[in-house]
Amino acid sequence: MKENYPSLHILVIEDHLGDYVLIEDYLKEEHGQIELTRAISFREAREFLRSQKYDAVMLDLSLPDSGDMEVLVKEVVNLAGSSPVIVLTGNSNKDYGVRTLSMGISDYLLKDELNPLQLSKSIFYSIERKKIETQLSESEKKYKNLFDKSPLPKFVLEMHSLDFLNVNRAAIELYGYSLEEFLNMNVRDLWVPEEYEEVENEWRSKYKDWFQVALRHRKKNGDIISVEVTSNPIEFDGKQARVSLIHDVTAQLQAERALQHSEQRFKALVQDGSELVMIMDFKGNLSYASPASQAVLGVEMDELLRNNFFYLIHEEDINKVKDCIAGLKRQKRIQIPSYRVKRGKNEWRWIETIVTNLCSDPAVNGIVANSRDITEFVDQERELMESLKRYDIVAQATSDTITDYDVINDRMEYNEGIQNMFGYNPSEIGRDGCWWDDKVHPDDKERVKRKTREVFHNKTNQLQIEYRFKCADGTYKYVLDRSYLIKDEEGNAVRMIGSMQDITKLQNYIQTIENHNARLKEISWTQSHVVRAPLARIMGLIDLLQNHEDIEDRCHLMDNIYSSARELDAIIRKISSKAEHPAEKINRC
Amino acid sequence: MLKILIIDDDEIVLLVERKILQRCGFDQEIFTFKSSEAALKFLKEEGEDQKFLIMLDINMPLMNGWQFLNKMEELGRNDNIFVIMVTSSIDRYDKEIAANYKSVIGFIEKPITTENCLQIKGLTQVAEFFKVL
Repeated sequence: MKENYPSLHILVIEDHLGDYVLIEDYLKEEHGQIELTRAISFREAREFLRSQKYDAVMLDLSLPDSGDMEVLVKEVVNLAGSSPVIVLTGNSNKDYGVRTLSMGISDYLLKDELNPLQLSKSIFYSIERKKIETQLSESEKKYKNLFDKSPLPKFVLEMHSLDFLNVNRAAIELYGYSLEEFLNMNVRDLWVPEEYEEVENEWRSKYKDWFQVALRHRKKNGDIISVEVTSNPIEFDGKQARVSLIHDVTAQLQAERALQHSEQRFKALVQDGSELVMIMDFKGNLSYASPASQAVLGVEMDELLRNNFFYLIHEEDINKVKDCIAGLKRQKRIQIPSYRVKRGKNEWRWIETIVTNLCSDPAVNGIVANSRDITEFVDQERELMESLKRYDIVAQATSDTITDYDVINDRMEYNEGIQNMFGYNPSEIGRDGCWWDDKVHPDDKERVKRKTREVFHNKTNQLQIEYRFKCADGTYKYVLDRSYLIKDEEGNAVRMIGSMQDITKLQNYIQTIENHNARLKEISWTQSHVVRAPLARIMGLIDLLQNHEDIEDRCHLMDNIYSSARELDAIIRKISSKAEHPAEKINRC
Repeated sequence: MLKILIIDDDEIVLLVERKILQRCGFDQEIFTFKSSEAALKFLKEEGEDQKFLIMLDINMPLMNGWQFLNKMEELGRNDNIFVIMVTSSIDRYDKEIAANYKSVIGFIEKPITTENCLQIKGLTQVAEFFKVL
């Protein structure tokens, strides 16, 4: 034993010189190479302990400046660190000496019973025990660090109840519960109800074994995370327990799911889309065609792959397509304008293709061509163009003024009629609706507005109305306006196309006819009252003369006939002079 | 006893009508008036129970036939006065106006004929005065 400790340095805290000398003697007797330092007060001892490390410390409890003995012991033990502290007491303090054992001292000795062997033994044992204790404590600290500072969340659970016994910092960070909260919880509190039964069964079947389970946990904030738990039984503070390692795989699962969706999306776009996707080389040889080939080209995928794509293209378009594809050697992506491909035996369809050079991509190794059938668009476009051409021709050919009013933007377009019919120079023609409104005769304006409003709000789209429209020289012309209102799907007015026909001449004719009618009425009245008066008289007189041969005053009656006839003649002459001579009218025309 | 009045601004008409009526056996007393005013004055002076048949022209100066009818109907003797409109007008409109007057029982276009006279005699309102005894 002595050989193991070649040199011992011991601090003796002892104010009583006699006791110190005794201790010195005892120790020197048992151990040759021993070095003693004496401190006579606690203050001195503190100085020594702070400046140097000792193999052991001997502490007399009855120091002059010690005060409370409990405080003294604790301070010294604390200052001594890994060095053992041995307490020396008198008989009177025997009970207290025993109590100091719980304060971290290594041993206590009664001064009265002190002998060299006992003293030496106590010192060596204390040193040895302290050394082992320190090692153990270090190892435990290391182990604790391993658990606490691990980046992976870990739980220690009571084996039977699954109550939390301990959790590490990573677990606290992951789940959001504090250590105190965890220690009042059971691991089942983290489970989600749908998986409860399954996880419970899994755990029970491996009650005392190692197991691994994938499940979902609910965090304190309510978020659900996907975890993989590896759990194995251990003993913890003398209890049967299991330690569980948590692996958060939420992000990984999300990434996997996103990848899966992306693949599904790709499949939906390429395989099931209406667009025809093909991969070919610069010569038109195909290495892939999507199932849309049946719909677009009327050829099954497999059959198409045996053919060359260029054979299907209309001879008038083939060179244009080939040029575009050749262009891919300089440019990565080119849009080929509409061209015709054969579908079935005799049908030609218009398609539009975007080609992308992906020869350098090993997964593709070719030109990707995305094509869609635009036959309907092309047909519609052609019809529209023809209809527009027709409209232009009509607008030019007609002598009417054609108006085209953009309701939304309040823009009015006119054909040449506005110049030819009303005499406006292009520079003085306003382009908004107000300009046109302004030209309508004030007496007609209200009626025109009311009628127009009716068309805007009713189901009918046609408006036919007569009104007067002002010419550049300030005079008015009668027009017959026939307009058609174009509405969108919601029934809102979008555009109004109209034709204004000059009916001034017609109006003049009508006026003339009306004047004639008035004159005719006057003549008719005159005939009825003025002409018939003498005529009726003549008829009455003749009736008398004829039917009553014996009538008196025949001569007088005959005179009356004559005078009445003269009167009638005068009236007819007057009428004739009022009426227009037919020949006169012909000359005037 | 019925009295017959002929109102017309044309003397020849007055002459012709009087002669025709007489010839056709209208043996009642016949009074002729060149103006409506004179006829109206005459009516006012006659007894209220006296019954009259009036041959009335429409187109007359100062007071035309319609104006005369309005004044006459104001007298309140419509049950005793019967009017035949006699006009040179062949205007349908005049006939329509005549229908609005209660006292108007006939409409004749000039010239008045023997046939017209016989028709007048047959009108229910005045027939009793022409019964052959």
